[in-house]
Amino acid sequence: MSNTVRQVQPKTRSSAPRRSVFARIVRAIGWTSIGLGLFLLGFLFHQLFVTTFFAQRANVALEAEAVEYFDEVEITQVPYIPKGTADSSTPGDSIGLDGPTGPDQPAGGPDEPAFIFVEGQPKRGQAFAILTIPKIPKLQDGWTIVEGVARSQLKTGTGHYPATPLPGQPGNAAIAGHRTTYGAPFYDFEVLEPGDIIEVETAVGVSVYEVRENVIVRPTEIWVTQDRPGAWLTLTTCHPKLSSRQRLVVFAEMVSGPNYETIYG
Amino acid sequence: MKRAFLSLPGPMVVKVILAIIIVIAALVALNFIYDWMGNFLDSGGNIG
Repeated sequence: MSNTVRQVQPKTRSSAPRRSVFARIVRAIGWTSIGLGLFLLGFLFHQLFVTTFFAQRANVALEAEAVEYFDEVEITQVPYIPKGTADSSTPGDSIGLDGPTGPDQPAGGPDEPAFIFVEGQPKRGQAFAILTIPKIPKLQDGWTIVEGVARSQLKTGTGHYPATPLPGQPGNAAIAGHRTTYGAPFYDFEVLEPGDIIEVETAVGVSVYEVRENVIVRPTEIWVTQDRPGAWLTLTTCHPKLSSRQRLVVFAEMVSGPNYETIYG
Repeated sequence: MKRAFLSLPGPMVVKVILAIIIVIAALVALNFIYDWMGNFLDSGGNIG
C-alpha cells in the first residue's frame, strides 16, 4: 500500500465563478439600500432621541442659570407710555386680538404717570425665563427660555425673538420652540384652546397669560410677532409635526402679573 | 472592514489611533449632516 498525499489547492479569488452583470447590479442596489436605510434610521434616532437627550440635559442646567439670573439682573421702574390705538387693518385685529379692559388706558388716569417693572435685556443665549403650561405635561414643571431664535439658541428647546419685548412687559413677546426635536417642548401645542393658562416667570415676577387663539400660518408671516397694544405672549412652533412647512401660532394675553395693573388699568 | 483597518499605514498602535480618529471624524460629520437635515423636520418654529 502506498500512501498518497492529496494536495488541495486553495481557492483563489480568480477561481470563483464570475458574477453576471445583472447580479452585480442587484448586489449594488441591495447594499446601497441597506446603507441608505441605516443612514435614515440613524437620522431619525438622532433627531428624536439624541437631540432630546442633550436638550433636556441642557434645560436642567439652564433652569439653574435662569434662577441665578433672576437674582442678578437689575430691575427698574420706568414710566409706562401706552402704545397708540390698534390699527384695525393689522391681521392681529382681524382675528379679534383686542385687550379685555382697554389696554391703552394706563393705571392712575391720564395725568398721573404709571410705572412698570422692567428688567435688563438678556444677552444672546442667556436663560432668562421659565415657561409653564399646566395643560401640557411636558411643560408642567417649566421649560427654560433663552434669548435668541438662531439654530444654536433653539437647540435648548425654546428661544425668545430678540426684536420683541420680554415676557411680562407691554407689547407682544414672541417665543419660538421645537415641535418634534430638541426636547420637543411644544409637541402638544394643538391641545391648547382659548382660556388655557400659560405662565412665564421672569426676573420681574410671574406673569399669567390666557390663550386667546391658535392660528396656522406660513413661516414667512412675520405679522404674528409684531407689536400690539396690551401685553401678549405669542408662541410659534412648526406645523404639522415632523415638518417645518407651516407654523402653529398661539396667541395669549396677560391676565395677571407684576405689570398687569399698570398696563390694563 | 478588517481589510480597511489593516490597510491603514503604520504599526498596530498607529492603526488603532488612526481608526479612532477616522470614526470620531465620521461621527462629527454625520452629526453635522443630521443637524442640517433636521431643519426640514423641525426648524425650531421661528418665523421670518
